[in-house]
Amino acid sequence: MISMMQTDFLKIKRKGFWFLTFLGPIGVVALQMVNYGVRKEYLLQQSENDWLYYLQNITAFTPLALVLGIAIFTSFMASIENETNAWKQLIALPVSKMTVYLSKFTMLACLLFISSILLMLFTLGFGVFLSFDEAIPWLELVKYSFYPYFAALPVLALQLWIATVSKNQGIPITTGIFGVIFAYSAHIIPDWMIWKWPSLMNQWDEPLINVLLGLGVGCLLYVVGMLDFTRRDVL
Amino acid sequence: MEYIVKTSNLSKHFGKEVAVEGLNMNIKKGDIYGFLGPNGAGKTTTIRMLLGLMKPASGSIHIFGQDIKQHRKNILARVGSLVENPSYYPHLTAYENLEALRKIIGVPKKRIYEVVETVRLTEVADKKVKGFSLGMKQRLGIAMSLLNQPQLLILDEPMNGLDPSGIIEIRELIKRLPEEFGITVLVSSHLLSEIDQMATTVGIVTKGKMIFQDSIEAMRTLAGHTISIQVNHAEQAWRLLLAKGMKVEHENDFITLQESSNEMVAETVRLLVQANLSIYRVEEEKRSLEDIFLSMTREDSAV
Repeated sequence: MISMMQTDFLKIKRKGFWFLTFLGPIGVVALQMVNYGVRKEYLLQQSENDWLYYLQNITAFTPLALVLGIAIFTSFMASIENETNAWKQLIALPVSKMTVYLSKFTMLACLLFISSILLMLFTLGFGVFLSFDEAIPWLELVKYSFYPYFAALPVLALQLWIATVSKNQGIPITTGIFGVIFAYSAHIIPDWMIWKWPSLMNQWDEPLINVLLGLGVGCLLYVVGMLDFTRRDVL
Repeated sequence: MEYIVKTSNLSKHFGKEVAVEGLNMNIKKGDIYGFLGPNGAGKTTTIRMLLGLMKPASGSIHIFGQDIKQHRKNILARVGSLVENPSYYPHLTAYENLEALRKIIGVPKKRIYEVVETVRLTEVADKKVKGFSLGMKQRLGIAMSLLNQPQLLILDEPMNGLDPSGIIEIRELIKRLPEEFGITVLVSSHLLSEIDQMATTVGIVTKGKMIFQDSIEAMRTLAGHTISIQVNHAEQAWRLLLAKGMKVEHENDFITLQESSNEMVAETVRLLVQANLSIYRVEEEKRSLEDIFLSMTREDSAV
């Protein structure tokens, strides 16, 4: 399994995966740089707690970046294998198809996790730079950086499934685009839709529910996708 | 006899379309097994099933005496394969492509240098595969298939897209494998001439069914041959031989013997010489394997 993952990380060399891993969090924080750069005084008046308000601003874009990143990563990764139909070579190796699938999932989950760590660091960095009056709300910072990640796992599992079993990458890209639209419309779509979860919104106003749902449903969708992948013939 | 590959009643269909039906394949150790058939005959489907890429609809596959259903990983660890077009990652170098595989199959790094040397890609090992010619990609594919020091090598249409010198090179390489490394080779092709030049055993498949499976010599015997003799007075010779009760035909300056045993040829020549006819040539004409192949695959089952 470890060697399988080493191979997967080797394959994404020079394909821009690492660039995207950095670009995502940088983009999210950069938007707030513009926001605060243009109208910092106004924004500081909006809330009693400037740090929390800043974190909420950041969080407005995190789900979009996550869902978009997942769509790009999954179909990109599948296209690497599809390009010369490397699946047939990969599956003819003495490894189980489950390992192949698990390795792909784990690799993408790792990249997204790194993105989340970077998001936390960049958020912290710019927050400190803005020198708010309040002390740094560490707990909130960690929550806002990693909760969306766990809540987005079902989207990752679903997109990976669609991307690996589709010969035509137009399909995962289409579902990916819809996912981004859903994520953008998080405040109006119903609670049961997985694309809403990274926004951490729900009717109970308890973000932890989204995290737990994300982990549970993420596992479920992962298993379903993996079983379907193992069942299929490789053409 | 112990077979390296043995399939029993192997069948596979896609929807209603039958791809492989009741296929029995037997490959002996050390064979170069030529798997012949026209395009779309079910060669690649069979090979995909041998490699566990597809699940058979019915029938069984035993490789190294083990059932692929239960021992897939075990078997694949000892099998090298190149299915249709070589699979590679164009954005990686040849070396990195092999390294990606090596990590999974867990052989020492020096194996990479060995296989690269074997297929003569050492000089371009650090270049991206994107820029490789088709022949180089094909050779890389073969290098990949040899990486795990397989005991059984499965090559599907390995000559595709190669130029003549590339074809010769790969053919020589394939012929060396059983002798030098004790590898059993299964090589598929739709070109009989290719198989004829390297295979020791031939299996011919058409419309998903195995219609012939035997040694290449057996197939050559089937080819049969006729003896044609050029003489100064063909018609006179023809009448003479007919009168002796032989099956002969004549055309222009040639008379043709249907039977070609040594005694018959000797007898014929003796008769002609005694009749004071001048014999210019005695030639053996082979019915080409190509013809047999065509007639077999056309009639479905000629033998």
